[in-house]
Amino acid sequence: MNATDDGTVIIQCEQVEKWFGDFQALKGITTSVVEGEVVVIFGPSGSGKSTFIRTINRLEEHDAGRIIVDGVELNDDLRNLERVRSEVGMVFQQFNLFPHLSVLRNVALGPQKVRHMSRPKAEALANELLERVGIPEQADKFPSQLSGGQQQRVAIARALAMRPKIMLFDEPTSALDPEMIKEVLDVMRELAQSGMTMLVITHEMGFAREVADRFLFFDEGEIVEEGTPEHFLPTREKSAPSASSRRSSSERVPGDNPLHTGSDSKSGKSVRHRVRLEALRFARRPSRSPSASRAGGCPRAGVRRRSNFGQIRRT
Amino acid sequence: MQSTHIQASRDAGHRLRFWARDNLFSSRPNTTLTVATIATLGLVAYFLVQQDFFDLDFSVVEVNRRLLFVGRYPQSEEWRLWPPLWFAFILGGFSFGLWARLSRRDVLWLGAAIVFILALLAHGENGGLFGGAAAAAALAYGMGRWVRRDHRSRSRAAKLAALGWAVLIPFTVLIIVAFGGVKPALWGGLMLNVMLATIGIAVGLPLGILLALARASSLPALKGVATAIIEITRGGPLIAWLFIARFVLPEFLPDALNTDVIVNALVIVSLFTGAYVAEIVRGGLQSIPPGQIEAAHAVGLGTVNTTVFIVLPQALRAVIPALVSQIISLWKDTTLFSILNFTDALGGAQAAIAQADFIGRQKEVLLFIALAFWSVAFAMSRLSQRLERALGIGVR
Repeated sequence: MNATDDGTVIIQCEQVEKWFGDFQALKGITTSVVEGEVVVIFGPSGSGKSTFIRTINRLEEHDAGRIIVDGVELNDDLRNLERVRSEVGMVFQQFNLFPHLSVLRNVALGPQKVRHMSRPKAEALANELLERVGIPEQADKFPSQLSGGQQQRVAIARALAMRPKIMLFDEPTSALDPEMIKEVLDVMRELAQSGMTMLVITHEMGFAREVADRFLFFDEGEIVEEGTPEHFLPTREKSAPSASSRRSSSERVPGDNPLHTGSDSKSGKSVRHRVRLEALRFARRPSRSPSASRAGGCPRAGVRRRSNFGQIRRT
Repeated sequence: MQSTHIQASRDAGHRLRFWARDNLFSSRPNTTLTVATIATLGLVAYFLVQQDFFDLDFSVVEVNRRLLFVGRYPQSEEWRLWPPLWFAFILGGFSFGLWARLSRRDVLWLGAAIVFILALLAHGENGGLFGGAAAAAALAYGMGRWVRRDHRSRSRAAKLAALGWAVLIPFTVLIIVAFGGVKPALWGGLMLNVMLATIGIAVGLPLGILLALARASSLPALKGVATAIIEITRGGPLIAWLFIARFVLPEFLPDALNTDVIVNALVIVSLFTGAYVAEIVRGGLQSIPPGQIEAAHAVGLGTVNTTVFIVLPQALRAVIPALVSQIISLWKDTTLFSILNFTDALGGAQAAIAQADFIGRQKEVLLFIALAFWSVAFAMSRLSQRLERALGIGVR
């Protein structure tokens, strides 16, 4: 385990690659996450962000590179796999609760079967966690009897029941009605404040800026941007956030380069950059348009985009 | 106006008329269908009466009830049958009370069939024992109903009942065979059908689940072996396999394994059932969304735990109707043993019909056998429907 100035590195990825047949989903991802850090991942659909966080608990096996989670390297060793999985919790877009088990059993099953807790103990823990996510009264119901927001909170409780060191969130609010998004985000916010290491894929910008220590921006299987929230998003005026972002878009500075990486991301937190949302859009454009990607920026990406999939996507 | 309506509804004849108008003659197509149905039923009834169908004399069943019930099973060892029978009756009644609920109409039909069967079988010296078992079953049914009022006692009772079912078959076989008991080759009648079906299910069901899991596995060797077993077994008709068990296997098997033809046949029946169950369960396995398995893995459950606690419960629940259908099918297929010259229920029936005293009395015997098979099949069908509904709470 490496210790840096910023804290203890808990996830380390080096040149991680993943192929689905001829299509390369991850093109050499290198990044690390320190303990207690909240990393929010953005990117268009199909950009590999979901594949990336799924490699961290090995729901997807990476084809090249190294992933070290809490000092354990992910490889074909099944014992490593079990150890990592019981320390990494995951919350899915579609909740994936077990429909044949009551809410309480959903949460208690993991501790009971993996941690070998006794049933009463596991259920006590489950009740405690259900209380924490705000739905203790639903313990005896079945998932299908709950609203989407409640189901997702059960899913969070289920992941927390394993006392994980890391939590992965794969678009946890994307399948929810707008009025239910808040209740899930509230739970996640509380979790972030409690010091949990979190990797979150989300499109909720307001939430992201509030909790994130760092952003990763994925496109076509690569991290194309990395930086602090202040770096990416306009600081919100206290009164009208939407108005402020609209205002900032009108005063965009095309030459401003928002690409900052690594070392200054932590310290950057204190420095209040005012970078416009438009700058972010500008930054995305080159990697999406074929001419720009061929012309410059990232030659490696230009070479790899000769795959069939890339060509189909461009048309 | 209002008062005449109330008066009319009090009068039974009027009520019937209203009911008929609303249900039988509400529209022109409905009226046409009603008339056509009544005409068809009338024709069938007329035809049956003309053919003396209702000229029934069940003395052939009464006289041959031993043959129909236990075949050539020795009379001196009959005492061995009663404990398992009582056990099964009580357990069955209790389970029905605990899990199923029979509608009044179900009770009427099923009750009538069972009373009819028992009335014919339970004559004379055995009447008390049969009647006692039936009464005990009814009592156990009431107890099951009573116990399930309370959630806690219900789950305890469910465990007890499950244990009972797990013990029933070993207990029965042990009592009948052990300590100089009766060899399977001498089993017969309805008892043989029941034994074949229950053992076939008890072995075939787990075997089928294992085969399905093996076939769905990613290990090529396991998958290949399972696929071969399933496809070869399913590829032949059951009757052909039974002939092989009866006439071919004994030639090849070493003497140690070659103790009893019924045992050979049981192996074949179990394998056959297992092959069909495997394909049903495989369908259920495929209906589980991959997200379920991913979620289980993400919680840290290994392959075995994921299969046992997440995949199988959902997969089996999804295929209950098909599984019960397979079980009922096996229950009826046990009559194929009569073709192999075993005196199962149907074999006993054929022997009874062949008797000089009862020439032309096939009808009664076959009707009796049909009723016996129907009542078991119907009870199983109802139990499965209740099971589906009871387990349906958790289904999305």
